[in-house]
Amino acid sequence: MYSAFNGLIVGIFYALMALGLSLILGLNGVINFAHGTFMALGGYLAFTIEPYVGFWGSLILAPFGAVVLGLLVERILIRPLYGRDPLFSLLLTFGLAMIMEDLIRTIWGSVGQPFALPNYLNTPLSASLFFLTGYRLVLIAITILVTGALFAVLRYTRIGIRIRAGNADLETISAMGVNIFFLRAANFGIGIFLAGLAGILAAGQLGLSPSIGSSLIMPSFVAIIVGGVGSLIGSVLGGLIIGIASGITAAFFPVAQEVVIYVIMAVVLVLRPRGLLGQEGLFE
Amino acid sequence: MSFLTLDGVGRRFGAVQALKGISLSVEKGELRAIIGPNGAGKTTLFNLISGYFPPSEGSIQFDGQPILAVSPNALVRRGIIRTFQITQVFLSLSVYENLRVAVETAMGLQLRPWISRNVRNQVEAKVEELAAITRIGPKMDRIVGEMSHGDQRVVEVGIALSRHPKLLLLDEPTAGMGDEETNHMTDLIRRLNKEQGITILFVEHDMAIVFGIADRITVLDNGTMLAEGTAREISENPRVQSAYLGNALEENAA
Amino acid sequence: MSASIETKPAAAQGSARMLVAAGIWVLLLLVPLWLPALGGYTDLATRALIYAIAASGLNLVLGYTGGLSFGHAAYFGLGAYGAGLCLIYIAPSLPLAILAGTVLGGIAGILVGPMAMKRKGIYFAMITIAFGQMFYFIAVRWNALTGGEDGLTGFSRVPLHLGGHAIHMGPVRFYYLVLALFAVVMLVLWQILRSPLGHSFVAVRENTTRLRFLGVAVDKQIWVAFAISTFITALAGALNALLTGFASPDNLGWQLSGSFVVICVLGGMRSYWGPFLGAIIFIVAQDYLSSVTQNWMSFIGLIFVLAVLFFPQGLLGFIKGRARS
Repeated sequence: MYSAFNGLIVGIFYALMALGLSLILGLNGVINFAHGTFMALGGYLAFTIEPYVGFWGSLILAPFGAVVLGLLVERILIRPLYGRDPLFSLLLTFGLAMIMEDLIRTIWGSVGQPFALPNYLNTPLSASLFFLTGYRLVLIAITILVTGALFAVLRYTRIGIRIRAGNADLETISAMGVNIFFLRAANFGIGIFLAGLAGILAAGQLGLSPSIGSSLIMPSFVAIIVGGVGSLIGSVLGGLIIGIASGITAAFFPVAQEVVIYVIMAVVLVLRPRGLLGQEGLFE
Repeated sequence: MSFLTLDGVGRRFGAVQALKGISLSVEKGELRAIIGPNGAGKTTLFNLISGYFPPSEGSIQFDGQPILAVSPNALVRRGIIRTFQITQVFLSLSVYENLRVAVETAMGLQLRPWISRNVRNQVEAKVEELAAITRIGPKMDRIVGEMSHGDQRVVEVGIALSRHPKLLLLDEPTAGMGDEETNHMTDLIRRLNKEQGITILFVEHDMAIVFGIADRITVLDNGTMLAEGTAREISENPRVQSAYLGNALEENAA
Repeated sequence: MSASIETKPAAAQGSARMLVAAGIWVLLLLVPLWLPALGGYTDLATRALIYAIAASGLNLVLGYTGGLSFGHAAYFGLGAYGAGLCLIYIAPSLPLAILAGTVLGGIAGILVGPMAMKRKGIYFAMITIAFGQMFYFIAVRWNALTGGEDGLTGFSRVPLHLGGHAIHMGPVRFYYLVLALFAVVMLVLWQILRSPLGHSFVAVRENTTRLRFLGVAVDKQIWVAFAISTFITALAGALNALLTGFASPDNLGWQLSGSFVVICVLGGMRSYWGPFLGAIIFIVAQDYLSSVTQNWMSFIGLIFVLAVLFFPQGLLGFIKGRARS
């Protein structure tokens, strides 16, 4: 129970990351390998501004810092690559991840940093539920809120509907006169926002280190594959599943806590190649 | 028993009935045109015959055996080869390389990391033969992606021929071609039929070509079969005239 | 020596290529003579050749078959661990260690291939990255066997026993051993690329629909390409372990996987010599950068970005493009 809950918390980070990656993958057609470093950036920005604006202030402001940089990157580096072999955007974000991780190391140091939480959030709610801190509840609440808001935006707002339509058929959307460059930029921004938010939430839980991004992005890939390519809900589900599986494994067979994630992926690929909620033949 | 027989064939996509109650038979050595307005179900018909997807109802017999829900691979081995509305060739390779890989895979060599000189000569001879039939020989070293649409179409037919097709399905072989290219392709189709004895089904919009070379013509409209017959029968069929051909004939006359 | 997949080479073009190839081999044979004069050292050349082997192996999938494998460091790393473990636990034999590493990585490739191939395009890339990560964590966590985060140590280049003689493997002799194996790999690749097998790989890259409707089992072709490719990359990994006397989890890491891809892109993915050229550029740049700056990771990353933005065809593709126009 305790370890499953621990896993659920980590799974939330995977899910938020996978959700953003999945959005960008769908509409922008880019595997954003730098997604993890945008996440780390969100965490470090929050760490830097927290003394001035407090925890809640940093929680609101820092993701937007990551988004600003994300939009710049999209505009300058990624936009020229749309429509080209996906190899190139992947390679570019690969390089970007290396640069950003190195810069984070240079600016904030390569040693991990603790991320201070308000005391009232950091104490367990009761002795019997010792693993249930206020922060963890806040974390879950925020995640549900943000994910719910995102799905509402995608379902009911004009831009959301266009993003979903663009996912299915970009050419038609473009022919209808929608500015797909704007759409892609907005979509990229939303994805980065989720990454930045995940970074801050993770910083409060796991602490900060320069490699936090690259250690969380790989499981997010797995979350997408397990959940089903092309399904946003699938990505969230996939993230939670592998998080919980990893948490439980950590309790009983700790050396396999990372490997189990990839074993799950292998099993899914063999038994159900399209993933749990993926549609057949989509995005091939 | 005819070479290719469709009996009450239909295909639904969800709620849409793309084809319904198609019964037709094609004799060995026939050159058959399929015509009909856009959305009549011509390409769907091709997809059914070539095993791209199975029919929802009815049965298809080829060379005495049913081809219900058989994979494209198996159909290729039984001699049914198709081309696509969007030309499918190996774009950044030369004509020679396109034909060579087609011949090699046709000979089942695709897993062989080396071949004897003897086999290599057989491959070369076959490539030469395909080049001669399609008359693409002078352009052997050109990169296919840099050639005209018409030439690419010819290369695609050459690739298809590497499989010794018994039944060749050509989906709009002259679409988007200039006059000279159209003549070349028309001539090629006729020669493949008459000289090589290949049974050919082709979808075509250009009525001059259809009436010029087809032995028989099948008219589809709105997913059903409207008429079938020789060029003369079709052009005199009042139902065809009113539904579809009238306009096209007037245009041709004008 | 050139892959005949480009176009049916004209006689003049063919002999010019033979000349270039001969020049390259002569230069490689004489490396211990001229490299020190330029301020290089033999191990640097050895490492460049090892990376050239690894990237040439990868390029069979990446450049010729068109599969975006971003996890090839896994097989490189398995090759390294395989060679090291063989020397420590099985027998102090150089050929056996090389063979063990190659086979270990190659078998992993044979097993991973069919699973990764369930998805195409960028998803294939994602799955190959993820599988690479799996092997990384096995190496890090299986402490007792692999030495965990610190890597596997405690082995060295044992002498090569030939007909009763023990040949000690100094840097120069080891360079020639690696060069010989590089030559074998290039010969094998050359033979594959001019065979029906290689032609079919290129056809997979060009148009899978066409191939499928010619009755070819496309997945099987990709699997074979992937397997051959991982054997070659694993061979490079085994040699790398012997070069450094060390197998580290970094040998399996995503940065290295990306580096192999960027090496192929830098040199030219569509060129037989591309990965070789890319490896030289990359290794020299890495060696120089790590000696002058702490932030060499940033500069390597910058190479990725610049390669994508300005050299997507690679150096050889760029030169060929200029020559054609």
